[in-house]
Amino acid sequence: MRNVLTIYLKEMREVLRDRKSLIFMLLLPAVIVPLLLNLVIAFATKLEEKTRTETLTYAIFGGEFLPELVEALSAEKDFEKIDIGEVNAIESAIMEKRIKFAIVIPEAVKQQIQESNQVAVGLYFDNSSVGSKVTYRAGSVIRHVSEKWQTAQLAAVGINTPQQRKQLLNPITIEEHGIAPTRQVIGAHVGGMLPYLFIILCFAGALYPAIDIGAGEKERGTLETLLLAPVPRYQIVLGKFFVIFTTGVTAALLNITSMAVILMTKIKELTEVFGEVVKSVSIVDLVLVAAMLIPTAAIFASLLLSVSIYARSFKEASAYCGPLNFLVIIPAFLALLPGVELNWMWALVPITNISLAVKELVKGTMNYYMLSAILGSSFVIAAAMLVFCTKWFQREAVLFRE
Amino acid sequence: MIEIKNISKSFKRRGKSPKRRFETEPQLTGKKVNALADVSFCAENGKILGLLGPNGAGKTTLLRILSTSLKATTGTASFDGIDILQNPLEVRRRIGFLSDNTGLYGRLTGREMIEYFGRPYGIDKKTLKNRIDELIGLLAMGDFIDKRNDSLSSGMKQKVSIARTLVHDPQIVMFDEPTTGLDVAAAEAILQLIESCKQKGKTVLFCTHHMHEVQRLCDNVVILSRGRLCFTGTPQQMLSQTGQVHLDKAFLALIGHKEALNA
Repeated sequence: MRNVLTIYLKEMREVLRDRKSLIFMLLLPAVIVPLLLNLVIAFATKLEEKTRTETLTYAIFGGEFLPELVEALSAEKDFEKIDIGEVNAIESAIMEKRIKFAIVIPEAVKQQIQESNQVAVGLYFDNSSVGSKVTYRAGSVIRHVSEKWQTAQLAAVGINTPQQRKQLLNPITIEEHGIAPTRQVIGAHVGGMLPYLFIILCFAGALYPAIDIGAGEKERGTLETLLLAPVPRYQIVLGKFFVIFTTGVTAALLNITSMAVILMTKIKELTEVFGEVVKSVSIVDLVLVAAMLIPTAAIFASLLLSVSIYARSFKEASAYCGPLNFLVIIPAFLALLPGVELNWMWALVPITNISLAVKELVKGTMNYYMLSAILGSSFVIAAAMLVFCTKWFQREAVLFRE
Repeated sequence: MIEIKNISKSFKRRGKSPKRRFETEPQLTGKKVNALADVSFCAENGKILGLLGPNGAGKTTLLRILSTSLKATTGTASFDGIDILQNPLEVRRRIGFLSDNTGLYGRLTGREMIEYFGRPYGIDKKTLKNRIDELIGLLAMGDFIDKRNDSLSSGMKQKVSIARTLVHDPQIVMFDEPTTGLDVAAAEAILQLIESCKQKGKTVLFCTHHMHEVQRLCDNVVILSRGRLCFTGTPQQMLSQTGQVHLDKAFLALIGHKEALNA
């Protein structure tokens, strides 16, 4: 095993001296991804703020039939009325972004209301605009006018107090009592994202060093030099395997730590809730979450090394590894889908089972029999892939592919 | 001593070759490429054996088989009585192999690279350090030994490669075109080193395309052409057998090159 350590230390030294490897192993997970997340949060917050406060230009037709609504719209400080002429011009005015919405009030609206008929006021807007607050903001004004009419009509029949109105309109209300503990609720949301991120980052962290110490060595001619040393080939594989494993695990752990720090500082109100979740996760569960990373990184290391050693050049290895991304992302993403919960069927699906198990561990609802099956099967898969990689490394057709 | 007995090597052929290639290249048979066919010869201790042949003759394949990187399809070889198939690790302990295919780790320094390759031979730290210092002096590498290999010139890189080859002081040394691409001074240093290996009683297998190097260094010569052995003997016998006065012409005549035969 001394040879394995010698190879491991030499490969790690080379990885740490390579800028590209450092970018993928350290910079990407610890700085770039969290920074991007930070930017996305800031951007989303700003966008939300903008859609809430931006001036909404609008046109109104039939305002003379319901002056109360015209008055209410004029009273809104962030609303600006625009004259677009004809009703027929509504669609083009919205698409050309001259107005954000238009309201069309039917004739004899007051008479209809007084005769206890329900009346529809037309609200026209661009429903392809994702995240738009137009319907909410314009709708609030219309609802407010509607409530005023409602209050007046109820007063006419002797229902004057807010309490009486509430009782009449909603005689039965729903009082929700979610019984799941905070850990479980947060875990159901964050617990799904956590394995998704660490699986992707673990793969990304292992990818570049794997290509470099497999196909890269072949291309540079150093692999042939290494094969001349009196070292059994399985030891060469093990040395390289542990390097890729280390870079994958490091990338994943750095990313988790960095993301947690950024999220907690950025979203201060979450600190308390996260703190509560973290406190409630036992040491055993934390160790088990970390343990899930071991077979994951081992599977990736064996897979990537096998592919990399088969390729004749860095470029060829990169081309093979592109589609491999999907093999990793899709099973990891499955665990995020609503309705996908850990059961014995999902426990047999590699990568997805790890994602789901981490989610359950964070939630605190893990079935430990299932967990041992997942850990066991994942280790068996990782070991089988490592054996395959070792055999693969013995083949002349793979090592001296020309 | 190296004894090579009836070594043949065939590879699976990839892709389709035009029909006419089968007429001009007898190595191509059906779905296989016969890179080597029934090659046998000996290399003695304290002598330099030149391994010659045109490009594609099978020299690199033979050297890869001897260095245990590839396995012969049939036949075997032994180094001081140790069989390459039965005990490849022990063979690797006894040989030093420098090939034009063997690269350097660009992100390591020359010293780190030599140390790295010295460790698997089980040499203790102190002996390894002394041996590296000795090689640094012998190959005049003092000025660049602690610089990263990426920043070195071709000649410097070749010196590091040679030091890597000799770090465990092997009894049998194989050089595959060691002076290719080097300037006169660097090439001369390497040729002198090969001569010193002979003086120390080592078995040297020297592969080259330069006939002046053969003239100067080789005690014996074997020539491969299209995977087959077509000559064994001394450089002098190359000349007498072909009636030529220059080794280049004699070499071309021995491999059946038309231009040489018409001269």
